[in-house]
Amino acid sequence: MTELKKNYDGLVIGGGIAGMQAALDLAEQGYDVLLVEKEPSIGGVMVGLNKVFPTLDCSSCICTPRMAESAHNPHIRIQTYTEVKAVEPLNVGFRIKLQKKPRYVIESKCIGCSQCELVCPVDVPHEFDYGLGARRAIYIAHGNAIPQVAVLDPTYCTFCGRCEKACPANCIDYTQQPEDVEVEVATIIVTTGLQITPMERKAEYGGGKLINVMNPLAMERIQSSNGPYGRPLRPSDGKVPRRIAYVQCAGSRDRSIGVPYCSRVCCMYALKQALLLRHYIHDVDVTIYHMDIRAFGKGYEQFYRRVMQEGVHVMKGKVARITELENKDLLLRVELLDEGGRVAEERYDLVVLSQGLIPAWQGDGVLAAELDEDGFFRSISPKISPALSSWRGVFIAGVAAGPKDIPDAIVEAGAAAMEAAIYLEATRYHERFIEPTKVH
Amino acid sequence: MGSRVNPRLAAEVAEYGADTVNKCFNCGNCTAVCSLSKGDTVFPRRMIRYLQLGLRDKLVEAPEPWLCYYCGTCSDTCPREAFPGELMMATRRWLTAQYDFTGLSRKLYLSKVWEIGLLAAGALLVLALFVVPGWLGIPFGFRDLPVEAREHVRVAIFAKTEWVHIGDWVLAVVLGLLLWTNAFRMIYFVVRGEKGVRIPLTLWFTKFYQMVVHGLTQRRWLECDNDTRLKWLQHFLLVTGYGTMLLLVVLLLPIFQVDKAEFHWTSIPGYYATLMLLAVTLLAIRGRLEKKEPIHRFSHPTDWMFLILLLLTALSGIVVNILRLMDLAYPTYVAYVVHLMIAVPMLIVEVPFGKWAHLIFRPVSKYIVAVLEAARERQTARAGVPKPATV
Repeated sequence: MTELKKNYDGLVIGGGIAGMQAALDLAEQGYDVLLVEKEPSIGGVMVGLNKVFPTLDCSSCICTPRMAESAHNPHIRIQTYTEVKAVEPLNVGFRIKLQKKPRYVIESKCIGCSQCELVCPVDVPHEFDYGLGARRAIYIAHGNAIPQVAVLDPTYCTFCGRCEKACPANCIDYTQQPEDVEVEVATIIVTTGLQITPMERKAEYGGGKLINVMNPLAMERIQSSNGPYGRPLRPSDGKVPRRIAYVQCAGSRDRSIGVPYCSRVCCMYALKQALLLRHYIHDVDVTIYHMDIRAFGKGYEQFYRRVMQEGVHVMKGKVARITELENKDLLLRVELLDEGGRVAEERYDLVVLSQGLIPAWQGDGVLAAELDEDGFFRSISPKISPALSSWRGVFIAGVAAGPKDIPDAIVEAGAAAMEAAIYLEATRYHERFIEPTKVH
Repeated sequence: MGSRVNPRLAAEVAEYGADTVNKCFNCGNCTAVCSLSKGDTVFPRRMIRYLQLGLRDKLVEAPEPWLCYYCGTCSDTCPREAFPGELMMATRRWLTAQYDFTGLSRKLYLSKVWEIGLLAAGALLVLALFVVPGWLGIPFGFRDLPVEAREHVRVAIFAKTEWVHIGDWVLAVVLGLLLWTNAFRMIYFVVRGEKGVRIPLTLWFTKFYQMVVHGLTQRRWLECDNDTRLKWLQHFLLVTGYGTMLLLVVLLLPIFQVDKAEFHWTSIPGYYATLMLLAVTLLAIRGRLEKKEPIHRFSHPTDWMFLILLLLTALSGIVVNILRLMDLAYPTYVAYVVHLMIAVPMLIVEVPFGKWAHLIFRPVSKYIVAVLEAARERQTARAGVPKPATV
């Protein structure tokens, strides 16, 4: 990987699938790109997914090559574990203040050998597995992480010194401090992606506190072969779930929790997960409770039909209440609209809430690009140039610009890269370094 | 079985206080989240569906709106902010107007002129009853009072207790008849809607206790799910207040209407009733101003009128009692007449035609649902008849 320079043609904020795509599309045209990621590894949400709809391709098998490509491209500098703290517009371009968070590991020296992880005595719930698996206080983000560099979590570290002794590269540094860096860039692409809707405000669904009520990303992890269990088990007692329910629109299209929009991906991921559960667990009963199924993309409707043919039950009715029973089974109360409006109480081993998508970053006083009513970055020309934000030279793509699935995010990232390239050419930004007087 | 569609139904019900019908996309959250909604009586979504489709007959024939006690959980959790609880409330007002054969209820709900006009007419009638006899030389009301009644409070001389008592009875019988007629119309509508069900006559008698129990205790409310006990208790105390007042005025007026400026033990239940009425009315007014609880978030103009009349009734009653104890003869008589000029029109408007009518429609709905359930059970047990199709 290249060293951090003072000037870049493009800054990409967020190293998920959209960010990587945008960075690659710019880099392959010869522009220098700085890709900033706040987590210890690039890859975003996609690298944690099991399979993708509707093709059922292995998600990490598509995502990791992109990660490696980004890391190996001579025009891309990846800056992980780093946050954008300030964006100051210049006559042309922007001055960016970055803050590198301390890894307590010297990044350039770490060889990713995992010796520190192996000797660390502290086990901590692993964020990558949504708390279902464990990591150490010093750890490499996950098996496919890029860069393969350890990070020490000071909240849990006991400073016992074992990792320091075990490290063959001598790269543990307990004294690291946050480091501020300034760079200048000509254009910015925002691909900051998503969070899933928090469930704290939905007391009827347990407010996020019931152990066998899962979020969909946790379900992705337990379905993954490299996940915490290696197969789908329920968290409370590790038994193989025989009856599983999906609650659609658990965090979307619900004004009562302030998310009035459709998140666009939940129907499809629920169908996909339900289908895979039918493959993984013999004769499992999976029911998807929905308000309506929105299978809008290419091949999606066919996929929906296939899922139903493979024995997944799809029932109309919004689940209103989830109650935990003594053995941590769950009782769902729902009006079954296909059965004349009968109010049913059904018992399940495991429930997955199809939580929606909300923006992971809203500029937060750093980037003053306007937001839409729904909280995502606003496109000033949503029909013909969807990547244009309200700020000249700042482009948006992926879920940062609105809820969307992986193919749409990738297409939009490409569009944003193209808009950024056009902008770079129009401002003749790189001529600045040749003949500084010719600016404007 | 065909149903006639009335495209104006939703707009019509909207005039009774809730215009959010078209926000609903029929997800069923409200019905499933409602702890009262179970078995054969599921609501509110089905009622909203009737409104959306304009199934006027179905809505008139539905007892369900009266089975809802408006805890407001449906409105709080509705993903569309369609406020199903308020739609049920508006439907109850509309139903009250549908049951009322005189057509007055509809006019009173929809027209302020009618409401205020009828209240004013009632007030004038009461005033006339205390003024006109004096002109005609009949010894009742304002007239050339004997010295004793001029110097000291002598209510029995000002307004002969037996005559007032007769007036109470006339009012009670008239209002009761109106109320019961409307209740019978309600029963007729609901039964009409259950075409496939044959109801054995005996069930009407064996299930009647449901009506009495629910009328006296409102215990169904306790099955609701937020702050239930407190809300129920508040309402129950109010009912005991009303009940006491009714008992005192209609049955026991001769001992309740204390004649002289002295404390008498019969005042104690009167004080109790007044206290309940005043306290709960003030709480309700505060609730409607704060708009925190779902039940008080929206106020129809008639809700305010009702509370204002209740408050004025209680306050004027208190003034009468204070003046009487102060032995201020003439002011007591004036306050007495003013008190009746508020209370009587309020009863005329609210009991058979307005909000108070729920005192009979709620227990009747519980009663009739119990009858229908038992009838259906017998029928299926006998012949295995399938349940009728629903929307």
